[in-house]
Amino acid sequence: MSRVHQLKISVSGIRGVVGEFLTPNLACAFAQAFGTYVGPGPVVIGRDTRSSGEMIEHAVTCGLLAAGCEVVKAGIAPTPTIQVHVAEIHARGGIAVTASHNPPEYNALKLFNREGLFFNHYERSELLDLYHQSQFRQAANDEIRRVVTDTASAPQRHIARVLAHVDVDRIRARGFRVALDGVNGAGSLMSVHFLREVLGCELHAISVDPSQPFPREAEPRAEVLGELQALIRQTGADAAFAQDPDGDRLAVGDETGRILDNDDVLALAVDCALRRRKGPVVVNLTTSAVIDDIAARHGCAVFRAPVGEANVVERMKAAGAIIGGEGSNGGIIFPVVQYCRDSYMGMAFLLDRMAETGQTMSELAATLPAYHRRLGKLPFEHGRLGQMMQALERTFPGAQVDRSDGLKLTLPGGWIHLRASNTEPILRVAAEARTQEQLEELYAKASSVA
Amino acid sequence: MPEATSLRISQVGLRGIVGHGLTASHVLDFAAAFGSFLDKPGKVIIGRDPRSSGVMMREGVVAGLLACGHEVVDLGVVSTPIIQHSIRRLDAAGGISIGASHNAAEWNALKFFGRHGAYLSSAEAGELLDIYHLRKFDFLDWRGIGALRHDPAAVDCYLDDVSAAFDLNRLSRFRVLVDCTNGTSGEILRRMNERFGTSFILINEARDGRAFAHEPSTTQKMAALQLAPLIRPIGADAGFLFDIDSDRVAFATEAGEAASEELVLVLIADELLERGPGRLVITSISTTALLDEVAAARGGEVIRVAVGRQPATDALSNYPADSIAVLGEGTGAVMMPRFRFVYDGIVSMLAILSLMDRRGLKLSEIIGAYPRYSILKGKIPLETHRIPEMLYEIESRFSDGIRNTTDGLRIDWPGKWFHVRVSQTEPLVRVICESRGDPPRALFDQVMDLVRSYSL
Repeated sequence: MSRVHQLKISVSGIRGVVGEFLTPNLACAFAQAFGTYVGPGPVVIGRDTRSSGEMIEHAVTCGLLAAGCEVVKAGIAPTPTIQVHVAEIHARGGIAVTASHNPPEYNALKLFNREGLFFNHYERSELLDLYHQSQFRQAANDEIRRVVTDTASAPQRHIARVLAHVDVDRIRARGFRVALDGVNGAGSLMSVHFLREVLGCELHAISVDPSQPFPREAEPRAEVLGELQALIRQTGADAAFAQDPDGDRLAVGDETGRILDNDDVLALAVDCALRRRKGPVVVNLTTSAVIDDIAARHGCAVFRAPVGEANVVERMKAAGAIIGGEGSNGGIIFPVVQYCRDSYMGMAFLLDRMAETGQTMSELAATLPAYHRRLGKLPFEHGRLGQMMQALERTFPGAQVDRSDGLKLTLPGGWIHLRASNTEPILRVAAEARTQEQLEELYAKASSVA
Repeated sequence: MPEATSLRISQVGLRGIVGHGLTASHVLDFAAAFGSFLDKPGKVIIGRDPRSSGVMMREGVVAGLLACGHEVVDLGVVSTPIIQHSIRRLDAAGGISIGASHNAAEWNALKFFGRHGAYLSSAEAGELLDIYHLRKFDFLDWRGIGALRHDPAAVDCYLDDVSAAFDLNRLSRFRVLVDCTNGTSGEILRRMNERFGTSFILINEARDGRAFAHEPSTTQKMAALQLAPLIRPIGADAGFLFDIDSDRVAFATEAGEAASEELVLVLIADELLERGPGRLVITSISTTALLDEVAAARGGEVIRVAVGRQPATDALSNYPADSIAVLGEGTGAVMMPRFRFVYDGIVSMLAILSLMDRRGLKLSEIIGAYPRYSILKGKIPLETHRIPEMLYEIESRFSDGIRNTTDGLRIDWPGKWFHVRVSQTEPLVRVICESRGDPPRALFDQVMDLVRSYSL
């Protein structure tokens, strides 16, 4: 029961502990399946900074070339930057070699279609079938195409897309003092350039050396950002940003050294987007009700999707959403830049809003309705999950029930969402309420059933 | 050849038609097996010939080696001898050459080298194959993965050593026509011209990944077709033709006559037996008997082993290194002690030019001074299960000759011999028949007919 999922080949792609589990042979075969699926044409490949990245990148390139694809190497680049580049150069698809927020011993392949989007559910299962059938396209010598290395264009194109939606002069005029924790990740160099050169900030950066290992836990949770908080106080920074290794997730600190809740960061970004244009908002089931409050201020609707970037993006496209995201994961998705979680658009929105209003980051956060939130994990046994979910439903009679991803129960004063993790044998629990007492009661009741 | 059977995994390595037998997964598995086989930590030197599929194979090789914790030094598109030279120079644990040498463009292959750039012995190659088949690779975790770097100095360092062994200044008086067959020799010779003032005139110099100007085989036939007709019009003193990875060579004389590929080894043995301390000439049982005559005249001795690189490599370890004058095959592949027993076409060419220089003779005059031998070669598609029966019948038909079964069947008479063997690379039976003087047409036809009666 305590088995850790050291290798997982699923509709989400391939992910595992490098070495004994995730081998170059597997990565190559999966890439060849991908190349067979998208067809002979350019495929963009980039990676984050983990030590296995170069090795896996070569294995993936081998598989893509063997399938007859042209390989466009973007080098070390944030995941959203790779996604933008796929769309910009009209590639057949893209692969990011990154295990995102997972620890350094992991690596994974994130797969994108020709629009630079995560594969939808149907595409993903088709690709997986192709992989399992092992009937790959085998290019002959005269069908094998070249490898193009272009590390400069992708960041330029991504930054250009972001800047089209903010007032750069107004941000530059303020000369914000900004603290940055790049986790020595794929965004390190691009973020320094973006904040210092492009947005004219006085930048105080830590962990922005891509040749070094991750200095902290890869996921930018408040608990692991102590060094960034100290940097804020030491430099008197107006704002602080922290990224994950592949630059899609963003954490934000205010001038007092407090790390904002990810839901609140998303809420501020939603506010910025809806000020520019009205329209629907899509978030995942675990995202806070603060999004509904903000959308309501603009008279806009909120739709919810199962957890996972691909699910949110699929729903956003269907709804024609103006903005979306995954609150708890620190992901802002602004589709006119690209349908992907993008820490750069997040940074630009927040600095632009500060420049526009003259408010500090803490003042901006204070404009949001206050909620109390709790995230946790519960162990469960295989085969018992259904009974547990049924018992929970009985515990909260009268709750509004959503079974599209685990179980979400919405009550007048709050909500609770339980779902089985894709990667560990645990149940992830998220709860939110107006008051701390309501929250504790909700959480305790749910825990007692499990 | 049927495409489905193009893949060949043997002690010599991995070889096949890319996409039709040879796939990315074979490449990765083999690179991982080699990475597991080599001592760790250790550098591994890699290089490739210009075939388009070489880039795909390079990526797989790099991934497999890095995953096993090796530092990989990629030399890019270079000759196989330069890879072997760099292994020694950089004190690497081994190396991989990606390239299919004298095969057509759609083929590719991996060749493996150990410490000092040496070919793997049969025992080592056997162990590598066992690891490959077992597929238990020694992959390290994220802390142990290797790094990739490049080394642009490889060609110049190789030329430094070559220039120390040959008087390039004197050889620069020769005007030499070279057919590079769109392979790796062009860059080396262009650089030699730049640095040492040599006069190599290059044709088919541009590297091409998709098609070569002609079949890249170093045979008399190919030299006659491509090289020989150009020699007199441009007034060259000699002409040479290289295969793609420049480990073997064919040549033509100043008179525009293509020479037998058998003569490359004969000329170099002539040169080295006269100059060097070594007395032994190691070759296969298929090589011309002229070699025995030339060696005997210079006090040398010919040792014959089974055909192919592996038996030759294994034979090397059976004799003291300083007792060997030269080792080679009748295919234009020759290795010398001065160059650490590496098949090297460029060095073979320089040895032949040195011989011309020292004797003060034209190439046609040197060859013309040798007794005349005539060799006939043929090949017939194979029916595998009847081979022993066939060899037995041939043996009983020619019971008056001296029988040698080192590799297939060779029968010798004074001044005349034939050899029947099964190819290791293609489903063929090869027949070679030679006599001193005129071609042994009747004997050759008789053996061919016998073999044909067992073919498909």
